[in-house]
Amino acid sequence: MLTAVKNQTRVCLLSLKYNIMREMVNKVTFLMNIIFMMLNNACILIQWFILFRLREEIGGYTMREIMMLWGLTAASFGLSHILFARVFSLPELIVSGKLDSYLVQPKNVLLGVLTSATAVSAIGDFLYGVALLLFCGLAVGGFLLALLLIVTGTVILTAFALLFGSLAFWFVRVEILGNQMVMGIVSFATYPDGIFQGISRFLLYFIIPVGMAVYHPVHILAEFDAGRLFTVLGYACLLSTAAVAVFYRGLRRYSSSSLMEARM
Amino acid sequence: MNRYENSAVSNAGDIAKRRFLGQLRRGHGIPGRKYGVIYRSVLMENLQYVANMALGFFGYFVFIYIFIKLWEYMYRTPEELIAGYSKEQMIWYVMMTEMMWFGSNASAVGWQVKTDIRGGNIAYLMNKPYHYTLYILAKYTGEWSIRLPMYAGLAVVIGTVMVGAIPGFRLITVPAMALCIMFGLTINAVFKICIGLLSFWIEDATPFQWLYDKLILVVGTIFPIEIFPGALQPFFKLTPIYTVCYGPAKLIVDFQPAKCVEILAAQAVYLAAGCGLMFFVYRKGVKKLYVNGG
Repeated sequence: MLTAVKNQTRVCLLSLKYNIMREMVNKVTFLMNIIFMMLNNACILIQWFILFRLREEIGGYTMREIMMLWGLTAASFGLSHILFARVFSLPELIVSGKLDSYLVQPKNVLLGVLTSATAVSAIGDFLYGVALLLFCGLAVGGFLLALLLIVTGTVILTAFALLFGSLAFWFVRVEILGNQMVMGIVSFATYPDGIFQGISRFLLYFIIPVGMAVYHPVHILAEFDAGRLFTVLGYACLLSTAAVAVFYRGLRRYSSSSLMEARM
Repeated sequence: MNRYENSAVSNAGDIAKRRFLGQLRRGHGIPGRKYGVIYRSVLMENLQYVANMALGFFGYFVFIYIFIKLWEYMYRTPEELIAGYSKEQMIWYVMMTEMMWFGSNASAVGWQVKTDIRGGNIAYLMNKPYHYTLYILAKYTGEWSIRLPMYAGLAVVIGTVMVGAIPGFRLITVPAMALCIMFGLTINAVFKICIGLLSFWIEDATPFQWLYDKLILVVGTIFPIEIFPGALQPFFKLTPIYTVCYGPAKLIVDFQPAKCVEILAAQAVYLAAGCGLMFFVYRKGVKKLYVNGG
């Protein structure tokens, strides 16, 4: 069992390595994608400087909490797109019947699919997020906790995308809605939860997993709460289990397009 | 003999006249007709995907919902003014700029130019009897001609239900606003094509597109220019932001004839300068093109 896990991890890491090496063929483009993505993210801070000129706090957040919010969101989004970028285009693979090349490999199908692509610009997102968290003045323990929360955020975001992506086994055109849902999470995750009240707050915490992926982690970093941390960890496990189950359930319905394709 | 000759001349004249009128009716000889044909074909093609486009409404709604909540929080009292804008005007401003953003899908322009150059398709397209940049512009116009009215309808419904009518809005001003929006979208596309053409020199110009988009988003889309420090405002008014998103949206929330003339004049200047730059960059870029065959 342990050997199988070790082998699978090794395959995933090799896949990541080759994805990045493939993108590094043109080094200038590779570096520009990363650096400009960091600059692109930094531009949005202008918005918050403007808003904090109008009010000292927004939805219970000061500039420090906003930086934590952005740091966690960017790093989770980035890590998810570095390790599991293919999950965001999974419906396309399913609808066009391009899963064949993954099915014939003697390794885990889902991990094979998820780790088969890497978005280079996401490295910029991840580095920007981590840098922002470093600027928040967290202690060493707080920073390590932030890294753990980045991992839970990554798992939740990936699981949510997998859950929606797997619906393509049953429904067509679901990829548009799935992309919109993921971008919806990112949009909500970059604004303080204090501005949302009533039904929208309930939706953000219990239906769209923004609360679990980002809002709870920000509150945990601002003021440690073991109960919240276990809630986030439990939710991440539950959502990923559900997503994996839905994927394999849907895989039974998969039909090939008999497309000759090789994975390089 | 003479009679027959005269008759023959007369018939030839009639035929030529009829041929000329027919050509005129079909648009032959009219400059830019080919771009009109491209526009029409893209328009017809996009009509097939109206349902797909409607699925994109969710993203627009999420964005607008966040901004409604944000500005409801920022305005302490209903009468408060921020940078001279009431709460309703501020939310409508964001709704209109976002409508242009989502309804035009301008990122597709830069993406197409980059993909054509990077993939080598440009070698095939540049030999066609049209100017490549104008072909892209015609295609883009055909795309937003369907998307934008759909998003405009959605914006009006969301705005009326969740915010209320725009204070002081007059229906008679709609044609002037529509003209400003149309020019704004075209100027944005021209600048995005210019950035996309940088792919002739660097393999992937997408990072520059991100920065351009983010500046337009932060400075002109989610805030009106008046909200920025006074020292920066004259500078922003000289950038494309003023003509691309601020100008049209400002006219919608607070229409003033003098402002409309000022914005249209600025747009004319920007469009001329932008097109000049686009042709210049394209001409320089194609000289850098290497065709590897295949």
